[in-house]
Amino acid sequence: MRLSECIGMDPAAVWGTDFCVYFYLGDFTERKRGGRKVSESEDARFRVVGIRKAPILQMKPEAAVRHRRIPLFSMAVLGMILFGCLFFGPFLEEKAVYMELGQAFAAPDFRFWFGTDTMGRDIFSMIWYGGRISLVIGFLATLISTGIAVVLGTVSGLAPGWMDAVLMRFTETFLSIPGLLLTVFFQAACGKTTVVSLSFVIGLAGWPAMAKVVRARVRQLKGCEFVIASKCMGGGFFHILRQHLAPNFFSSILFMMVMNIRSAIAAESTLSFMGIGLPLEIISWGSMLSLSGQALLSGAWWMIVIPGGFLAATLLCVTEIADAVRRRGGEMR
Amino acid sequence: MKGKKCIFYIGRKLLSILVSLWLLSFAVFFVARLAPGGPLVSYYGERAERMTAEEREMARERLLLTGSPVKQYVRWMKNALRGDFGISFKYKRSVPEVIAERLGNTLVLGGCGFVLIFGLAVLIGMLCAFFANSRTDRFLCRLGTILSAVPEFWVALVLILIFAVKLRVLPASGAYTIGIESFADRVRHLILPLTVVVSGHLWYYAYMVHNMLLDEMTKDYVLLAKSKGLGINRILFCHCMRNVLPGYLSIMAVSVPHILGGTYIVENVFSYPGIGTLCYESARYQDYNLLMVLAMLTGAVVIVCNLFAQMITDSFL
Amino acid sequence: MSEEKALLEVEHLSVGFLTEFGEVQAVRDVSFSVKKGECLAIVGESGSGKSAICRAIMKLLPEEGHIRQGRIVADGTDITEYCESQMKRLRGSLFSMVFQNPLDALNPAMTVGAQIGEAVAAHEPHMSFRRRRERIQELMELVGIDNPKERSLQYGCQLSGGMRQRIVLACALAGRPKLLFADEPTTALDMTVQAQILALLREVRRRFLTAVVFVTHDLSVARQTADYVAVMYAGKIVEIGTAAEIFENPGHPYTWGLMRSLPAFSEGKKGLYAIPGMPPSLVNPPPGDAFACRNEYALAIDYEEEPPMFWLSDTHGLASWLADRRAPKIVPPPGIGALCGCEPAKGADRKQAAGVAAAPREAGEERSAVCTAAGAEPGKAGGRSGREGRAGMKARILLDVRHVTKDFSISKRQSFRALDDVSLDIREGEIFGLVGESGSGKSTLARLIMRIDAPDAGEIFFDGIPVCGRKEFRRNRRFFQTGCQMIFQDSGSSLNPRMKVAEILAEPFHIQKLKPKRGSLREEADFLLKYVGMEADFLDRYPQELSGGQRQRVAIARALATEPKLVIADEAIASLDVSIQAQIVNLFGRLQKEQGFSFLFIAHDLRMVKFLCDRVGVMYRGRLVETGPTPGLFADPAHEYTKRLLSFGLGGNW
Repeated sequence: MRLSECIGMDPAAVWGTDFCVYFYLGDFTERKRGGRKVSESEDARFRVVGIRKAPILQMKPEAAVRHRRIPLFSMAVLGMILFGCLFFGPFLEEKAVYMELGQAFAAPDFRFWFGTDTMGRDIFSMIWYGGRISLVIGFLATLISTGIAVVLGTVSGLAPGWMDAVLMRFTETFLSIPGLLLTVFFQAACGKTTVVSLSFVIGLAGWPAMAKVVRARVRQLKGCEFVIASKCMGGGFFHILRQHLAPNFFSSILFMMVMNIRSAIAAESTLSFMGIGLPLEIISWGSMLSLSGQALLSGAWWMIVIPGGFLAATLLCVTEIADAVRRRGGEMR
Repeated sequence: MKGKKCIFYIGRKLLSILVSLWLLSFAVFFVARLAPGGPLVSYYGERAERMTAEEREMARERLLLTGSPVKQYVRWMKNALRGDFGISFKYKRSVPEVIAERLGNTLVLGGCGFVLIFGLAVLIGMLCAFFANSRTDRFLCRLGTILSAVPEFWVALVLILIFAVKLRVLPASGAYTIGIESFADRVRHLILPLTVVVSGHLWYYAYMVHNMLLDEMTKDYVLLAKSKGLGINRILFCHCMRNVLPGYLSIMAVSVPHILGGTYIVENVFSYPGIGTLCYESARYQDYNLLMVLAMLTGAVVIVCNLFAQMITDSFL
Repeated sequence: MSEEKALLEVEHLSVGFLTEFGEVQAVRDVSFSVKKGECLAIVGESGSGKSAICRAIMKLLPEEGHIRQGRIVADGTDITEYCESQMKRLRGSLFSMVFQNPLDALNPAMTVGAQIGEAVAAHEPHMSFRRRRERIQELMELVGIDNPKERSLQYGCQLSGGMRQRIVLACALAGRPKLLFADEPTTALDMTVQAQILALLREVRRRFLTAVVFVTHDLSVARQTADYVAVMYAGKIVEIGTAAEIFENPGHPYTWGLMRSLPAFSEGKKGLYAIPGMPPSLVNPPPGDAFACRNEYALAIDYEEEPPMFWLSDTHGLASWLADRRAPKIVPPPGIGALCGCEPAKGADRKQAAGVAAAPREAGEERSAVCTAAGAEPGKAGGRSGREGRAGMKARILLDVRHVTKDFSISKRQSFRALDDVSLDIREGEIFGLVGESGSGKSTLARLIMRIDAPDAGEIFFDGIPVCGRKEFRRNRRFFQTGCQMIFQDSGSSLNPRMKVAEILAEPFHIQKLKPKRGSLREEADFLLKYVGMEADFLDRYPQELSGGQRQRVAIARALATEPKLVIADEAIASLDVSIQAQIVNLFGRLQKEQGFSFLFIAHDLRMVKFLCDRVGVMYRGRLVETGPTPGLFADPAHEYTKRLLSFGLGGNW
């Protein structure tokens, strides 16, 4: 009763209800004091009271907005795949590598949930067991390319003109050659393929785009006044790199890092499919798909659709997450 | 004065192309020879394993593979300058012959793919920008995300599975049926590879056009155009496209090699007789002479496209 | 109010913008009307919603903005519910718009002639090609562009700022609109060009009887152009009336505050008047009068109930409880009305000086730790003569710039001389003001002094030590780096967005490995923050959560952390609102007095320079054309350019 009296009119009509609720919660004490005064006398309301301290409102994004953009579904699916591959996969090794030619090309049934391949291996077990390799290659290759990109990008961004020009020419040359051709070429030069060597080859082809972004950000930040101010105060190279540059460019390459995981997994599967990646004995989603030529001839669709489906689902989830990361980064800036 | 400047400009660019190509040939030559194994297997097949050391040496000499790598390189270079690129170890024919046979196929696939991507990307990008945040926009974006996230070769496999194996309406491989070679037959063989090439690359470029257009739409000159009384169509087509186009053109020029790279994989899946399969084979079977020429060819395309992009940027931006 | 029908009527218009912080209520319940040929100026600080009104009326709001409620009647028809295609027909022919930044408003890929032609064609689609070309030239001549034939083939980037704004105006006038919205059309331009554009707008009004809604933050510009003035604060019109009513008999404390913030008002006084505090957040506007918490005359009811519009006359409306009959009669601070009329009476002036000293002190500073010292400081009026005496006594020269030249290369052959043989010196404890147009080399000089760039010729001595020599610099690195600090123009980019305020303030201590005098770094940061008039609550905020003025304060605090001998402020107030500018200038004055550092104040606003500085240097195209003590130079400028600058910049009484 008092409350509405002191307000005089219904503020909801003016500002909308949700705001009013917030207001009552936030500033209740002020309001009560005002209310008492009103009841004392009408004149008191028309007294000069001067400046009162305004409450400092913390500007925080609304909770709803922050949560809406997290790709929960993709994260859940990816989480399941990761969990299955990492914790479930190793136990299935025996079944995954066990070959029985008598059972080759078995369609999915109760015994082999996802069917068997040309060598009679159980595809269900191979999926979980082999997924591990695909994912490891994805992360390892990303780590390698990020490392190269950050080092080259910062050096090029901070270096004097001529060095920057040389480094950038080098990067652009790499960038203009299609990534997969580059990988094929490196792979051919590498000879025998192992998980590590393949990651290395894929990582070596994936850094140029990221290096360009790092360099562009570093160049842009270098001209920023807070970096100049820090330099004027006497901040050294490493101080500026650690305090000012790295935290600011990290958000812009985070998106590319996630996308790199995606393209590394895709590259592994493509290479293995073409027969220049991992050999058949090292089970991965890509090497499973390399049997698809025979699968097509015999119409064994499960050999193509099932491993490929898992691969596609993983890549899609990673893309979604990367997208969310990018949007977040965009908001921060 | 201007003409002189122009000639100077072109001359400098040509020089840089030559230097780049030379560097490329150098790098490819030596990196290729780092790989273990040798080309003898691909030339003599099974026979290579049964050869004696003497026979092996003779075979090497016949294939011009003796001497230190530097010597080999000089020899290759000399021959290449005379127009002799050697023979392909696998096909046992001269390299230009092997390539010429297949270049047309790749150009048809890559060219059609490029033109389709180029046009459709602008179309879809504008459509999405025009109906920004509508259902059409969201559907197209979603479709694009899915199709571009999935590896090309798998899309190709699934398409073959559906259309060739199950429905039996389209051929699964090759560029033409041997013996028929009609135009319609060629088109039938092109449909699936082309679909895969386009669907793999289209979205990235469409998304880019879309973003560039939306970016332009937030600029102040759009407000002025609106306040002048212009309609949204005219603003989008005449004002925004005009600013987006140079950037788009230069990006498309840079991406020619990438789209070609994409066709290489697709050619592989469909066993389409093109440069892509040849590249793959030459790298796999260490067909040095073929590999060198293919690398130079790809490199030249890359360099020329980049130059093109740079010229567009120089003159418009 | 009169019989004549209004061209534009806006009733109870509210506009909201959806942001991630919630809905910003940019415009709240605004009503006004404009008749044919009239000019209404909407005056307010940035963020007061003045631009949003124009865009809402033309339905040009960005995607996240929308009209919450209200009615817009244009030329007798209600256009509130009009769709895009209906609006398209009205835009250009009924109303049109001129923008703040003319470079962004022109399409970089189209010739200016084509852009004007397009606007012509939008309204007369069947016009012949030749007739259209004639019309384009006619329009270009109208807005004062010579050589229209050649100019029409040029692109926006080839024209000067003023020329671009003329082209934008030509585009806007192409459809013969009855109403023109001018959204800060002169803000981005240099002083001299500003005056030309204003004159052009007046001319257009006179010739075509176009009504103009003129949005500006500058009271003096409003006074030069408008018949009616509406003062906006926090999304509401707080006072509206004819120009005479507003300027001679203002009723709202905010209007008073705006007027008192003008440097002319504070002339000869100890500090610039500054409205205390800062505007409220419009996500959750405070109840009652939004201005109450900055209003020294606030009534108790102001904190509780929103004031309705009280009409003092047919045209003069006032949204303040002070106009209620129950309210005590408050006499506006003396000199406000007089300021707009003739010279204020001498006696009134003195009385009011005392009043100003007692009442308005910055809200933040009142709580600051050093407040007692600030209170006891001698008056500026007295201080000035003392300061001049000090300068006369030939205090030691701290900074000596000798014949400095700096070129920047544009391309391989061309270069641009940013500084041409500039010499100046700054003594210890002196405030030196450097003024000039944009591009005149002021900032370049500051960068040379700070060793961000190196001069091509000439030498700079700091405390007798050459700055540019590599060896000398290395030997005295620490001395330079602590002794010389800079405050930048763009408060947005001068603070690292990923560091909290406390970390930003601790950075100088980290870098120089200084021992914090007050125990911990945190306490040091706390002290610095209070010293510049901010509360400790802000220590754990990120810069993007602060307002522009607050960020600039943090930057100042950081600069003072090393107790420098020389502080350089490079256009440090240019991007701030008038009332905040005054706060910062006062802060500079106070800090300088307490710390006694030498101060190089770079600005283009002559009024602030006149107020703050002991000596002034005028730069023009890379040359220092004139220096001298402030009063002398302002009273009797010697150089032609200075005279021109003064005549535009100070604009008579304002």
